Amino acid sequence: MNRFLTPTIGALALVGVATAASDAPAARPAAGTISGTVTYTGTPPKMRPIDMSKEPSCASQHTTPVMTENVVTGPGNSVQYAVVYISAGDQPGPTPTEVVRYDQKGCQYVPHVAVMRTGQGLEIYNDDKTSHNIHPLAKVNAEWNKSQPPGTPPIHASYDKPEFIAVKCNVHPWMHGYFAVLTTSHYAVSGNDGKFSLAGLPPGKYTITAWHERFGTQSAEVTVSDNGTATQNFVFKALPY
Amino acid sequence: MRPQTRWISLVSACGAVLLLGGMRPAAAQDTHVAGLTGHAAAGKPLYVRYCAGCHGDDGDAQGENAQWIEPKPRDFTAATFKCRSTPSGMLPTDQDLYNAVERGFVTTNMPPWIALTPQNRVDLVSYIKTFSPRWAGAPAPQPIAIPAETPATIESILRGREQFQRLECWKCHGPAGHGDGPSASTLTDSKDNPIRPYNFSTGSRFKCGSTNADLYRIFMTGLDGTPMPSFIDNLQPNEAWDLVHFLRTMQPVASPERLTWQAWLQTHRGELKPIGPEGGTQ
Amino acid sequence: MIERLTKGAVSIAILLCTVGVAPGSGSPMRTTGKRSEFRSAEMAAAYAAYTRSVAGALRTSTAIPAFARKYGLRCSACHTVWPELNAFGQRFKDNGYQLGNDRDSPIWQSNGYWPIAMRTTPQWHLESTTNQVTDAAPAGKTITQTGFDISGVDFLMLGTLHKDITFGLVTTLDPDGTAGIEAAFVRFDNLGKSSWANLKLGKFELDNLLSEKRFTWLSANGGFLYAYHYLPEGSANTFGFGDNQIGAEFSGHSFNGYTRYSVSLLATNDGDPTIPTGKSMDAMATLSQAWPIGNGLGPQRLGVFGYLGHRPTAFETIAGDPIAGTGSANKSFLRLGATAQIWLGNLELIPLVSHAQDDAALGPGPDKPTWNNALLEAHYVATPRFMVQGRYELTRMSKQGDPAIPKTFGNADALALGFRAYPFMFSRDGMAIHGEFAMTQTTGMAPLSGDGSGEPAPTPDTKIRSLSFMLGFDFAF
Repeated sequence: MNRFLTPTIGALALVGVATAASDAPAARPAAGTISGTVTYTGTPPKMRPIDMSKEPSCASQHTTPVMTENVVTGPGNSVQYAVVYISAGDQPGPTPTEVVRYDQKGCQYVPHVAVMRTGQGLEIYNDDKTSHNIHPLAKVNAEWNKSQPPGTPPIHASYDKPEFIAVKCNVHPWMHGYFAVLTTSHYAVSGNDGKFSLAGLPPGKYTITAWHERFGTQSAEVTVSDNGTATQNFVFKALPY
Repeated sequence: MRPQTRWISLVSACGAVLLLGGMRPAAAQDTHVAGLTGHAAAGKPLYVRYCAGCHGDDGDAQGENAQWIEPKPRDFTAATFKCRSTPSGMLPTDQDLYNAVERGFVTTNMPPWIALTPQNRVDLVSYIKTFSPRWAGAPAPQPIAIPAETPATIESILRGREQFQRLECWKCHGPAGHGDGPSASTLTDSKDNPIRPYNFSTGSRFKCGSTNADLYRIFMTGLDGTPMPSFIDNLQPNEAWDLVHFLRTMQPVASPERLTWQAWLQTHRGELKPIGPEGGTQ
Repeated sequence: MIERLTKGAVSIAILLCTVGVAPGSGSPMRTTGKRSEFRSAEMAAAYAAYTRSVAGALRTSTAIPAFARKYGLRCSACHTVWPELNAFGQRFKDNGYQLGNDRDSPIWQSNGYWPIAMRTTPQWHLESTTNQVTDAAPAGKTITQTGFDISGVDFLMLGTLHKDITFGLVTTLDPDGTAGIEAAFVRFDNLGKSSWANLKLGKFELDNLLSEKRFTWLSANGGFLYAYHYLPEGSANTFGFGDNQIGAEFSGHSFNGYTRYSVSLLATNDGDPTIPTGKSMDAMATLSQAWPIGNGLGPQRLGVFGYLGHRPTAFETIAGDPIAGTGSANKSFLRLGATAQIWLGNLELIPLVSHAQDDAALGPGPDKPTWNNALLEAHYVATPRFMVQGRYELTRMSKQGDPAIPKTFGNADALALGFRAYPFMFSRDGMAIHGEFAMTQTTGMAPLSGDGSGEPAPTPDTKIRSLSFMLGFDFAF
């Protein structure tokens, strides 16, 4: 009797743990994926070369002039810098501890669109020899404006409300970028081929939204099965102006 | 009761009835300035009377006059204010808003409302705070610490001049502070309206005050909603006072700083390195 | 005494007929041309003259849409209900019609802006006066008239010629087409960059804390203050506090406008040009202080004022006729008073008391005519677009100029009630629907409204009641 007591208790404990674990959401396989391509129809506006002659220290960093980045397209009518994210149906998950990095390099914002979670840390670096002022034009969150001379430490910030925030530098008026502050942990930014992939989704019904700074927003309902890959493409109407 | 006491009681009673009749509880947006408490409900009729013509009935700067005036009136729904004592991105203190109403904004259509009683003004500030949800539940904004001003010696002015070069103020304000820097003509405010940087050679008061402490606050808190950023991460307080002293020399006003500067220039002008792209490190 | 009165009455009648004033006309009239003020036979002329000047006060009031157009402020910013000024508007005016934002010089105005505004009030009104002596009814009868009418037009041109140099030009047009110059002045503001030193020269309204030009009454009986215009029986004086005077005013105010003072030297012609009275001067001084007490629409104000005037009592003559401009033997008169503005929430109370004394030589007999006025005006400014108001005023003679005149002769009580409703409050122009009821009761003397036959009552202690009722559309653009 005593010999079997400990293993029995141990087995019961294991069963208990297993049962408890299976009640937590994480226990269900979160292996679903939604992927797709963001493309456009019609004629998008032409991007124009940026004249950086007023800032020689930046102009000298570019052998060919840099183009504006409001609408960046790729082969096969693909759209780059579209933020695709789950807008309904998923659990937010804990705020990531990693910091999102945003660089001012060659008088441009790198990446053009930085995506982050609400409450997630953001670090802004000035890699240039000139001063920049970093001026995110938030409307829902607080709007602030700070100067960042060259060689100074990165600026730390975070946003607590979801919003798409235009970012500009007043000294260099051609500099233009975005912060996408989201509540979901499932997001992606389309590459030059327009492709995106949202992984780690538990099965269920979701609303997926694609946002582009010029083309606007589109949403769709997608159902993800266990381990399944769902496909959702987005096609934006492009106008030349 | 003595007749005088009776009269006072009667008048006070009438006054109390009238006051209470006009006020409704609005504790959420109470304002405390200068020993007075302002209430949003009392501020609303004052706002309609004095402010709505430009700032709009909804506080969105869409008043009937807004289309004709330049610069545009403040949009209270954004809760972004130029003249604050708090860091960039933070709400202004009640005192900041009260001061703005009292002082007005020189060279704009916003007059100094100093003839209004202080009670009227704190009530107005309370009402203005109801236009944006950002105030509800927000902690009391904390002003930046402004240590005592350092002496305005020629050394301080020269160090300030180095700051002006290092921080690249000249890119907007111009090497002589004439508002003609390389980026000046492309500046837009946060609503994409064109905006010019301050031209020190006009000698006009700053929009956010006229004292050295006001000037300190301007570049240490930034003017939110405009291209003017906050430099508080890049300047120690004594360096900031140096910059204040130098900036004063660019105004055609006989301030102590300017007089010191002009006296020094008589004999040392050749020592100055130019401000601007060729200035390098001073 | 009776003969004198009768003689006076006849002269008045003649004068009234000759200057074409229809008895009982409710339209305001304008003083034109020179008047010469003398004793005895010309007392009547003086009486007629000040009657007309009182009626003249009915029209001119200043509410300036041109300022709204220049600065982009609604009327309600400067006016409790236009034309009455609030503390902000008073400071704007004291500053020389400048906001103080370094944008006051006209170079900052749009080229198309022109500083002019106009104001007029088409209306329907009723005037009724009791105990009017007529040929057919020497014992007196009630004369009533009703009908549609128009008021005169004011042309208001005020603004800055340059930073800290202000100008004012107010011309008026009576309904019968008579033109006049109500105000014409230049003011040098902020001398030595101090708000305490300002100099105004020309023809302008006296610095009355309770302004008759910018108050909210328009009817024949309610549109003027007895305190500002009353002159007793047999007076040879021509002065009215509410009449614009010609002279120089040195004034100043604290930065927020709560402390104000002015001292003026004025001509002795009650605002009539060409100096008909010769070499003499009047002087006026005012002082007021405001306190930001309470939760009202404005600060609480208290003010005192004093006027020391002179009028000549002798003239050179040629062929027996007096030569205008050669006045001498000046005799003085005094006006002293105090007034206040009390705000209790949206209720404004304006009390005023004044004491007046004329030299005996300016009166009918050996004594100095002395009288006192008191009034209380109340406005309830419910919103910038609606106000109800009331006023009660009384005038009491304390000493007649001639002991033969009964003690109470000339005593007056005046009641006025009214409302102003503004369909819109705007930054370009304005309109008010104006309703008013006013009643004056004068003992023995004809009412100052100029209604009825303008004759004294059949007996010295008969009370004449004069009643006005008006509904008008008061607009300014």
